Amino acid sequence: MRTWRRLEVKDREEVMENIASHEDWKSCFSELAPGLLLFARQWVHSAADAEDIVQEAFVKFWRRNHNIDNRPLLYAAVRSIALDFVRRAARRARREAAVFAETESAADPQFELDDDTQSALAAAVDSLPCDQREVLVLKIWSELTFNEIARALGISQNTAASRYRYALSNLKKTLQPQ
Amino acid sequence: MNDFAELENELRKLRPALPFPILFERVEQALGDCRAGASPAEERRSLVRRWGGLEAAPPWSLFGLGLAAAAVLVLFAVARIDWQHERRETIAKTSSAYETTPVLGGSQNPIVSGKFIPAGATHVVYHARDEGLYFADGSERPVRRVRYQTQQTWQWRNPTTGASLRVSYPTEDVVLIPVSGQ
Repeated sequence: MRTWRRLEVKDREEVMENIASHEDWKSCFSELAPGLLLFARQWVHSAADAEDIVQEAFVKFWRRNHNIDNRPLLYAAVRSIALDFVRRAARRARREAAVFAETESAADPQFELDDDTQSALAAAVDSLPCDQREVLVLKIWSELTFNEIARALGISQNTAASRYRYALSNLKKTLQPQ
Repeated sequence: MNDFAELENELRKLRPALPFPILFERVEQALGDCRAGASPAEERRSLVRRWGGLEAAPPWSLFGLGLAAAAVLVLFAVARIDWQHERRETIAKTSSAYETTPVLGGSQNPIVSGKFIPAGATHVVYHARDEGLYFADGSERPVRRVRYQTQQTWQWRNPTTGASLRVSYPTEDVVLIPVSGQ
């Protein structure tokens, strides 16, 4: 049962503190942007497209004054906008699944690579099925919990965990010396 | 327990590419446009919703309070505009050597050397308290005293350099509303 109450004078300091933090979007964004961009790159080819998607999602999220701690909602917004973007780009795409399948082989996460080992690892990540790759990206580079991943992707927590395990297992197989 | 710990460590060493700095500017621009476009009422609602300051009030009283607040704000705005107009006239009369420019006189008016232009102004009422009936000195008619706590924000922007200037400060206003009895 929800309780009703009015704002009291004693809440004023709290409200003022929050108004100040409302301006501090840059620190939030600089912390989240690399993970958001990498997540967006699961669906689009270029970094520029990914930046467009992240910008739209973040501005929409911030404008609606959602709590910044609600990261699953932010990632869900990126995913939704990315899928819309792909649908618009692919004129003949009729269903989300079709779009997903079309982009699966083209999505290439962008990393700053130091050596050949990392290149091989990045290539192995690219070769993962999209449903496993998106869970892996959220878990490893955005550090979301399985519960948060489940909320962001609209799947169960168990499904998120099993996709993650499958992703790691597939990576291990791919990287094993022949 | 975890067969993949080593692999996970290797994956974490992969660093996602950082965004271009232009992205921050684009987001800032977009957020600035949003704020300039949002009405104070929208901003107030969103601020309250975001931080849960006003969790809720019974819908019927909220409706009545909203109507009363809207009426008060209109009266308050009209009174304030008149007051500012008189004040500007006074300033113009007493300082004939310089021309005064309204801070937010329009998007075309420069503030300093044509560099900064007004980009937005918000007046967010985050708390309104009805302090009840009050009899002013020498008056037989009661007035209702309402206290508003607000946050005012003024913003200017330099279109050439992209620099922006923002001033934000809290205010408290007390409004006396004549009560008509029957």
